[in-house]
Amino acid sequence: MNAFGSRDIVVVDLGFGDAGKGATVDWLCSPQAGLDVAAVVRFNGGAQAAHNVVNGERHHTFSQFGAGTLSGVPTFLSKFMLVEPIALATEARALEAIGVHNPFDLLTIDGRALLTTPIHVAANRAREDARGGNRHGSCGKGIGETAAYALEHVDAPTVGDCLRPDVLRRKLVEMTRYYGRLITESRHGFPSINDMTEMYGEFAAAVNIVGPGALQAIGAGGRLIFEGAQGVLLDEWRGFHPHTTWSTVEPSNARAMIGQMGRESYVLGVTRTYMTRHGAGPFPMEDGALGLALPESHNGVGEYQGSFRVGHLDEMLLRYAIEVSDGVDGVALTHLDALGLAAAANTPIHGVERYEEWASIPVGKWKDLDHQQVLTDTLRTVEVAAKQVPSEPEEFVDYLSGALGVPVVLTADGPDRADRRLRTTVPA
Amino acid sequence: MGYGYWDDNTYKAGKTFRAARGVDDFGYTDSLRARPRDTWKADPTLDPFRVDKRECRDSDGHPDSLPIAVLFDVTGSMGAVPRIMQDKLGKLHGLLQRKGYADDPQILFGGIGDADSDRVPLQVGQFESGNAMDEQLRTIFLEGNGGGQKSESYELAAYFMARHTSTDAWDKRGRKGYLFIIGDELNKPRLSARHIRSVIGDKVRLDVSVPSIYRELEKRWNVYFVLPDQSSYYNDPEIADHWTKLLGERFVKLDDPAAVCELIALTVGIGEDRIDLRDGLADLRDIGSVAEAATVGKALALVGEHAPATVAGLPRDLGTGTDDVDFR
Repeated sequence: MNAFGSRDIVVVDLGFGDAGKGATVDWLCSPQAGLDVAAVVRFNGGAQAAHNVVNGERHHTFSQFGAGTLSGVPTFLSKFMLVEPIALATEARALEAIGVHNPFDLLTIDGRALLTTPIHVAANRAREDARGGNRHGSCGKGIGETAAYALEHVDAPTVGDCLRPDVLRRKLVEMTRYYGRLITESRHGFPSINDMTEMYGEFAAAVNIVGPGALQAIGAGGRLIFEGAQGVLLDEWRGFHPHTTWSTVEPSNARAMIGQMGRESYVLGVTRTYMTRHGAGPFPMEDGALGLALPESHNGVGEYQGSFRVGHLDEMLLRYAIEVSDGVDGVALTHLDALGLAAAANTPIHGVERYEEWASIPVGKWKDLDHQQVLTDTLRTVEVAAKQVPSEPEEFVDYLSGALGVPVVLTADGPDRADRRLRTTVPA
Repeated sequence: MGYGYWDDNTYKAGKTFRAARGVDDFGYTDSLRARPRDTWKADPTLDPFRVDKRECRDSDGHPDSLPIAVLFDVTGSMGAVPRIMQDKLGKLHGLLQRKGYADDPQILFGGIGDADSDRVPLQVGQFESGNAMDEQLRTIFLEGNGGGQKSESYELAAYFMARHTSTDAWDKRGRKGYLFIIGDELNKPRLSARHIRSVIGDKVRLDVSVPSIYRELEKRWNVYFVLPDQSSYYNDPEIADHWTKLLGERFVKLDDPAAVCELIALTVGIGEDRIDLRDGLADLRDIGSVAEAATVGKALALVGEHAPATVAGLPRDLGTGTDDVDFR
């Protein structure tokens, strides 16, 4: 018997992203796991996600397709997703190249999901360029711009509009008027409205676009895995403002969808044995020397995203992430092999004894960005008392379970699907 | 940068979505071929009948428009070339724009058949700078017949391009455009007035000699005839002789039809004096067209040595009257 029972599983990253959600979801969907998964549901983010999955010779960086695709598990892009069809096509070609036949057959999209267009991308990049040295650490893929535009415009383009070329055309024209000079005076641009409308028409003809109620039907086929993007510490309301993403990363939306179906959820938090983050923002346990000791095969430097940063384990941040997630039921712990690598390089992974400023990171009211800004300012200068943590994997697992008050139910000591283990004896 | 430019990602996405639902890139051809032959006709956007002018104009976003016309022989075995072109449009654009061979290229596609035996002997699209050119290329009807008399109606296409195009490049800057005719046979012996009337709709009563229409055409266009190694005529001395007499060194043999995009890009780059042949071949290897570089290097060995004169000086007489044509 496994820890999950018959519940739908929500997979969230407890850090700043890159903890190993993709590989975790791939494993949960694999025949080895035997969890009878009907579909993977994406409940936040968009084309900026980069979930690496390695299964033997096959490697794919999942972005919009669910990370269960290599096992033939279908993907449902929920209404909370920001869908970018051009990137979706690129991803489909990459999947075909590693042997997934017609990946679009595995895809269903809620028509209410927002559409990310080349206009959003151009606006995003134009803005980020204008910030110069004060970049927010955006991926440059138009995600924030899509969310921001939709907040101000009730008729922002959606996936469903791709089925109605006249409606879509009107909305795209409206967008070009809205952005006007921001884009025309930048070094960025976008294709003509005709070209975009035509391509989105092809998109709508190739994928299954559905209305409300579809999730219930999909869920009737078995267990659902809700695959989160990014990390809870980047959540739009709970992350460290302004270094956040325009998306609800913590699991409340996923829990709500499961609850509405009258089903139960199991929230699985994912963390590495250490912390990582991309781009700007506070990172109390950052350590360049540790970064040098731990090779990172799939995370490079993006022009708009900034460099990949590495730091020690931060129990304070993880406990904060768990608290703002309204608790998690279990932890998936990845990169156990890093413990040995770091020790061998004489930069053993440390943990946090305490922050001098706080016993715990104070959780504010939801949507209180002033509070989040105080957290950000404090974390930039916080005094950390570090401590040794076990460098032997089994001891580390026990240590982390205790430190977080949550059982570690899944571990990984490498990037491959074969490197993952379900822990049958669950420490209290 | 503005908008309305060619976007490789959008083009590739459209292609991917079409493939996903099993739609051929040349869907117009497929749909027409399923119908009776006597109903075949050019898509309205490509039908040359009673077209006044195909125009290549400057715009705010594209102030230095450069017309590039590519007319394919769409008979028989030559039908593969438009498909190759469609596959590689992104590469053509990468070279023309990102490598700076031309600032604001506008590309027109068309199809050439046999006015004696085909239902759709001539198709001519519009000059486009965005992804619409992909759509146009896919809408060309690949009739695929051909008469077997070793001639196609290239001269009819030449007549259309000479009399029914108007470009700012020429009108404002006195710069010639580039016209590539891609085929493997001879012109018809004469430019037939009957064909002009029935296919283009001009009230012409007398036939015109083939050399005279090419002379007229070359006043505003750098005209190339590209013979890809795709048929038994590749080594036929009669073909080479015929086209060399008309176009001189701009008769180009291409031993691998897969390199047609690269050939066009480099020819334009060299013609515009942006690169020499060596730079161009290095660019091709840069973008991964290694085999194509070898083919194009061979094809352009003669042309590449000296770029054609593209600036003719502003024309004194902008009209295209009939004085230059020998009536017979």
